[in-house]
Amino acid sequence: MADALHTLSAAELGRRLAAGTLTSRALCEALIARYQAVNETVGAFTYLDQADVLAQADASDARRKAGQGRGPLEGIPVAIKDNIAVKGQPLTCSSKMLASLVSPYDSHVAERLRAAGAILYGRLNMDEFAMGSSTENSAIRKTFNPWDLARIPGGSSGGSAAALAAGLVPLSLGSDTGGSIRQPASHCGVVGLKPTYGLISRFGLVAFASSLDQIGPMARSIEDCELLLNALSSADGRDMTCFGPSDRTLTPAGDAKKLRIGIPKGFLGKGVAPEVAAAVNAAVEFYRAQGCAISEVELPSADLAVPTYYVVATAEASSNLGRYDGVRYGHRSASAGTPVEMMTASRSEGFGPEVKRRILLGTFVLSAGYADAYYVRALRARAKIRSEYLAALAGVDVLLTPTVPTPAFKVGEKASDPLQLYLEDIFTIPANLAGLPAISVPCGKSGHLPVGFHLVGAPLSEAKLLAAGRLFETAHGFAHQQAAL
Amino acid sequence: MAEGFDIDHLAKLARLSLTAEEKALYSSQLNQILGHFQALAEADLPATIDDARVVNEAALRSDEPGPVLGAEAVTRIAPASRDGQISVPRVVDDES
Repeated sequence: MADALHTLSAAELGRRLAAGTLTSRALCEALIARYQAVNETVGAFTYLDQADVLAQADASDARRKAGQGRGPLEGIPVAIKDNIAVKGQPLTCSSKMLASLVSPYDSHVAERLRAAGAILYGRLNMDEFAMGSSTENSAIRKTFNPWDLARIPGGSSGGSAAALAAGLVPLSLGSDTGGSIRQPASHCGVVGLKPTYGLISRFGLVAFASSLDQIGPMARSIEDCELLLNALSSADGRDMTCFGPSDRTLTPAGDAKKLRIGIPKGFLGKGVAPEVAAAVNAAVEFYRAQGCAISEVELPSADLAVPTYYVVATAEASSNLGRYDGVRYGHRSASAGTPVEMMTASRSEGFGPEVKRRILLGTFVLSAGYADAYYVRALRARAKIRSEYLAALAGVDVLLTPTVPTPAFKVGEKASDPLQLYLEDIFTIPANLAGLPAISVPCGKSGHLPVGFHLVGAPLSEAKLLAAGRLFETAHGFAHQQAAL
Repeated sequence: MAEGFDIDHLAKLARLSLTAEEKALYSSQLNQILGHFQALAEADLPATIDDARVVNEAALRSDEPGPVLGAEAVTRIAPASRDGQISVPRVVDDES
């Protein structure tokens, strides 16, 4: 097939598979060839079992031939961030702590993908335990931005975004605790959606900060992103925060040209690169010209979002990562003395610097004498931020901002300054604190580097976010972008 | 706000063993980060705290046994096991 399969959308591949002009085996063979050609350069994948992929593809082709195809994802590869469990595959979280762990079970989303006939395609690099904004915190390897190999792809789902931009796979899964789907999507010129808290089960997602974590779809177009979201979304009693069957009805999309769009006051000012502000302003003017009502909204506590997030997230992480004690699974130090010495040595050897930093910070904000001043105040600030966002979203359908203040920075540029890295998430964090759905949509370039805008909506308004994104994408042709490699 | 920050105490609570260089680095970085948190101390905040729930649904399932990983699957991923059980360093001294 002359037109390179790695450039096609999941929707188009699905149409060819359904029409019988393409087999899943031929598709997977083409993507494996692409993997062999460019993965070493980009570093998006940390693992790919090629024989297993081809066996899954053959099984899919056999189902289709027997008239037992399972829907639009039948035979389509979906690559998975390495903190989401797939039975029989590594589950390392890009950490030495879990370097030898092979998952004994499937996550809920892996079950959903199998039920949809998708090919579970390899493991994607990430910041260790999803802590980071550049994928530089991976203990396995670095991932580079396919648009500029001297730059970071974003993080923590950097492998998920880079794999799409490099044409390594048509669809991927990420996880998002403070922006870890949307920020790398913006830096790599792809679409990334963080669903409403509770829409997608986290059963089988390795926990970082449980009141914030969500799994979400990533793709090169809105249509593909929606295809994957629909496959993942279903009730699951194994995640008690996951909506039950009666509570998960999405708000209808409505007419995207009649959307009321709020622009938070001051968000396009200080700290936003001029080219980013220009691209986002152009998107605002596009929506205005389409007939959307644009208005300015007040979010007075926005400046509290970053400190609130880093208190809540590290507190929860320090608790969640207490399970890595070298006893039941994960790294165990060979220098074991007493059980406590064994646990301390195992954790000290297994965790990397950013994970240790966050565990120490989380331990401090929860410790006796400080919990009221930090953790409890952060929970109160979170309540304020959430109420301000819900109040703003009572008057408009979506809030529009940049996804990230600046384009992708150079590898190593911010590695020694954790606070600067934390500020990468300034626009994405509030959606996690408030449990709201949010999407990053490609909207242009700063030089050769992709820029995205960010939409946040009311709970369960994913269809509106996708419709708004589709209106922009259709008019601008930013769908299916791939870096030349 | 970061008065009383004791890196040795924190490391002990977190079950982490830090080198002298790590202690100096993390102390400096955590102080810088905690300085950024000063905005939280100064903010006018509501008395209520956030419970992180989006939809107020009673999501508790019935307390019934369900499928579990078997001993074979569990011991296969354990760092050390013997006779179908996870083995750990000796906890109780048998000489007393």
